[in-house]
Amino acid sequence: MSVRTKRSTLLTGFALGLLMAANPLSATAVDFAHDILPVLKNRCAACHTNGVYKGGVNFDTRETTLRSKSLTPGKSGESALMERVLSTDPEVRMPPKGDAISPKEIAAFKAWIDAGAEWQPGFTFGKTGQSQPLELQPPKLPPAVAGREHPVDRLVDQHQQQHRVTRTKPLDDDAFLRRVSLDLVGLLPSANIAREFHDDTSADKRAKLIDRLLDNRRAYAEHWLTFWNDVLRNDYAGTGYIDGGRKAISDWLYKSLVDNKPYDQFVRELMLPRGDAEGFIKGLKWRGRVNASQVPEIQFAQNVSQVFLGINMKCASCHDSFIDVWKLEDAYSMAAVIAEQPLEIHRCDKATGKMAQASFLWPELGTIDPKLPRDERLKRFGELLTSRDNGRLARTIVNRLWHRLLGRGIVQPVDIMANPPWSPELLEYLAIDLVEHGYDLKRTMRLIATSATYQSQTAPPQDVDSDDYVFRGPLSKRLTAEQFLDAIYDVTNTAPTKAVLATGERDGQPIRASLVIADALQRSLGRPNREQVVTTRPEELSTLQALDLSNGQVMNELVLRGAKHWRGREKNASSEQLCREIYRAALGRAPSNDELAVARELVGEPVADTGVADLLWTVFMLPEFQVIR
Amino acid sequence: MRSAEHSPHSPERREFLKQLSAGALAAWTAGEPLFAQANEADDKIEQPKATADACILLWMGGGMAAPETFDPKRYAPFENGLPVEKILSTFPAIDTTLDGVKISAGLENIAQVMDRATLIRSHVQPDLGNILHSRHQYHWHTGYVPPQTVAAPHLGAWMARLLGPRNPAMPAFIDIGQRLEGVGEKEELKAFHTAGFLGTEFGPFLLPYPDQAIDAVRPPKGMTPERFEARYRKYRELVERSPIGERGSDFQKESMLRAMENAYRLLSSPERKAFDLTLEPKASFDRYNTGRFGQGCLLARRLVESGARFIEVTTEYVPFLHWDTHENGHETVQRLKSEIDRPIAQLIRDLEERGLLERTLVIIASEFSRDMMIEGVPGSTARDQSRAKTDVLKEAKHYGLHRHFTGGTSVVMFGGGMKRGFVYGETADERPLVATKNPVSVSDLHATIFTAMGISPKTLLTVEKRPFYVTEDGKGQAVQQLFA
Repeated sequence: MSVRTKRSTLLTGFALGLLMAANPLSATAVDFAHDILPVLKNRCAACHTNGVYKGGVNFDTRETTLRSKSLTPGKSGESALMERVLSTDPEVRMPPKGDAISPKEIAAFKAWIDAGAEWQPGFTFGKTGQSQPLELQPPKLPPAVAGREHPVDRLVDQHQQQHRVTRTKPLDDDAFLRRVSLDLVGLLPSANIAREFHDDTSADKRAKLIDRLLDNRRAYAEHWLTFWNDVLRNDYAGTGYIDGGRKAISDWLYKSLVDNKPYDQFVRELMLPRGDAEGFIKGLKWRGRVNASQVPEIQFAQNVSQVFLGINMKCASCHDSFIDVWKLEDAYSMAAVIAEQPLEIHRCDKATGKMAQASFLWPELGTIDPKLPRDERLKRFGELLTSRDNGRLARTIVNRLWHRLLGRGIVQPVDIMANPPWSPELLEYLAIDLVEHGYDLKRTMRLIATSATYQSQTAPPQDVDSDDYVFRGPLSKRLTAEQFLDAIYDVTNTAPTKAVLATGERDGQPIRASLVIADALQRSLGRPNREQVVTTRPEELSTLQALDLSNGQVMNELVLRGAKHWRGREKNASSEQLCREIYRAALGRAPSNDELAVARELVGEPVADTGVADLLWTVFMLPEFQVIR
Repeated sequence: MRSAEHSPHSPERREFLKQLSAGALAAWTAGEPLFAQANEADDKIEQPKATADACILLWMGGGMAAPETFDPKRYAPFENGLPVEKILSTFPAIDTTLDGVKISAGLENIAQVMDRATLIRSHVQPDLGNILHSRHQYHWHTGYVPPQTVAAPHLGAWMARLLGPRNPAMPAFIDIGQRLEGVGEKEELKAFHTAGFLGTEFGPFLLPYPDQAIDAVRPPKGMTPERFEARYRKYRELVERSPIGERGSDFQKESMLRAMENAYRLLSSPERKAFDLTLEPKASFDRYNTGRFGQGCLLARRLVESGARFIEVTTEYVPFLHWDTHENGHETVQRLKSEIDRPIAQLIRDLEERGLLERTLVIIASEFSRDMMIEGVPGSTARDQSRAKTDVLKEAKHYGLHRHFTGGTSVVMFGGGMKRGFVYGETADERPLVATKNPVSVSDLHATIFTAMGISPKTLLTVEKRPFYVTEDGKGQAVQQLFA
């Protein structure tokens, strides 16, 4: 599942009415999407939608349908549409060609109109999507303003200038260090790194820090492992393993991240059958019969589309998509690439008698000979998918990286790449840069992180999914479960002792949360089950999570062990010293006098384990600790 | 097109949180169903009038054999050399307080409250071609057969999402008795013990051991309430003094502080006493105490009294244990009945005595039934999984219903607007014991439960631009005849 995260404007006075307007609940006797829309689409759309409006009848949206006086909600008896479909007069009857609409469909129309003719919110037959050309379009870099030479800044400045937005202030060194370290390697900056960074007086100290972080191959891999495990639906335990219905790709993935494998090669390997990475395309199989839209071949089509192309093929794997241009046949053509046996097209779990023919979504990039053996087809598919002309592949991944680093995609949501980018030029620039530099993802991260845009303060919360979204600045992000726990392990010296993966000689580097099977706390904090593709995690802390943090045994033990660690380390430390050092370790800064006063009360005098544990807990619960700003 | 895409982590979820932060918090804390508000603003939403405010699902994990419990058939006592095909039930039938309706021996206490029950004898499951308990359980609990492209929410999570808690200090969805670690098929169990795409706010509050439930709602071990309170107070002070407090707010922070406050409120509320079974008078505790399940029933009663919305109490699914009888079924079922009989009957009586039964829907259900001979349904490709394969009885371990049967099973409902003393549907008197009248699918059963709780079976939320319904494709039909 793709969970979309949102950032609210949190206007406290926000009217309840708005909530209700957005309320998705609806109950009609007939379901528009499944009962009405397919008939409209198959029998009416050719003459009455999307620019063709014979007789002035326009079914693009509910509004245009009403304006065409085709129907009266609540009154099927007074609706022209009913009159037309019921007529036996060939001059009057609709549709004019082919069989009459079936009695079942007519009954559905009647019930639908009588129930108020509800429409899928937002659905239109009109042109969908901003159809970008597939090929990447080199943007023209605007001139640098006020010495801001970085290409990302030049493009962002142009966007902000067009929208009359003032950029946020630059980030200070402390905040930058914390953000960039958590973003690139998922860890709090170590004391060493912090000291050296502060002592460095060179002008390019930030760029050097970014390189240093990215060059830490293990730390980088173990952080991005979380992202890729979510995205590639990979885990060390989970459904399916019980009876061989699933295969892990952990070792391949780990190594690929350590090696910073070029992204095109990474994707090609994922498409290869019988390799170390085959678990991804194999999908997830539960013992027994499965709905036709959930067989492993269809999962392949769905997952590949979502992950690498930002296309939601889930609708189209059951019936022609109502929300996108993709059709049932597209989903099946993709599924047929991996199918071992001839694959029959099923519509809503019913066989259609038609067989699927392997092909690629965009024939202009090339074709797949359906007669090729399966493994050859997959190989060819991988080539087409990663072809330099497939701009969608590069756009999708750079957009995901931008989302991870800045908190909101250039295209949003990150799984619907047909949505318009707030800066097409920026998206194209990043995508082209990636393709032209060997699909080096670290390079893209470096490009983004070295920009003044990235290195600026967070913008106030805004509605990230608004059509009118304007980039105002980076947005704050909640730590993932793994980042949060790694940070706590670090401050309390309580890292797990054993990894699930073979990660080689660790030279004393602690085991990280991404390397172990999810425990109750990790799950509670949002590490997903990974049965579905997950590309973004929730940004909110839920009550159940807060309960686990407040009185859960796991958390309680971590802070108690942490207290012992701190007291053992600083044998005769005063409460003030301890408070200062814990603040420094956890938040990367000294406490203010105000904070110190409260913290010292927590720790108590004389210092006791429980007091230190309470301070540790309190610091870990601070939004400042849990949010990357 | 760029239509608003909804996922409950998203607009309406955000709106939901926003709502909590805004004025409607008052309604939430007053335990008003969210629908009540939704209806005012949008009269197109036709939600049924609720006949129940709370729901207790008594889950017989592992496949409760209907012929051994609520749908007794021809009884054949153990007899060496008896062909197993002659056996339909291994227990005799007994009378109940419902005229002409018999249930199986060993359920004498429940027999005494059957006049308050609606008994469905025609609940049917799909043949999935292969029996995997957790897959059928996933289906039963979510209404969807896995795998799914969207993580399907548990029944209780829907209730939590759509109705909210009855009492804000009480988690809306409480799950009693099922361990998710250290048991077989645990990953599969985790897959449906979840709010799925609704988000963890609506997930289950897990209480695997009823006698330790109180630990889940009190300060961590070794921490006094005073220290716990002081810690929270100081926490709020440090939040105030943190420099990011000065720089305005972000929504992660808002959600964090709200969640922490909710948690703190629960952990220091008087309602948490409901979780403490040691506070139950001994005589009453003893009446329930047949073990973990009995204690779970008692806990459920206490929680409903304190305002819980949806509670599941399970005999616990552990592969090959409890109702999952692959051999020695008779003896195992005898024990199980002694574990469930008294507490269930007591629960019904207690709820009734307290005037709560009328608005509390209690459901006894299981993922499927069992049969001596047939795996799945006749004609199924399901593999025979009996561990006591034999044509004639030779030893005690052969005696029992050792095969998974999906063609017809029983569900018992009490209260919550259901008829009192009513039997719906029936199964054949001879093998195959399939439902022969008024079959009720999982979807229709769910539709009935949702309808009783005031939720239309067609209710949907949109995720990834697609509608996701509380019953599969919104097609579940409530069985109207069951309602009083």
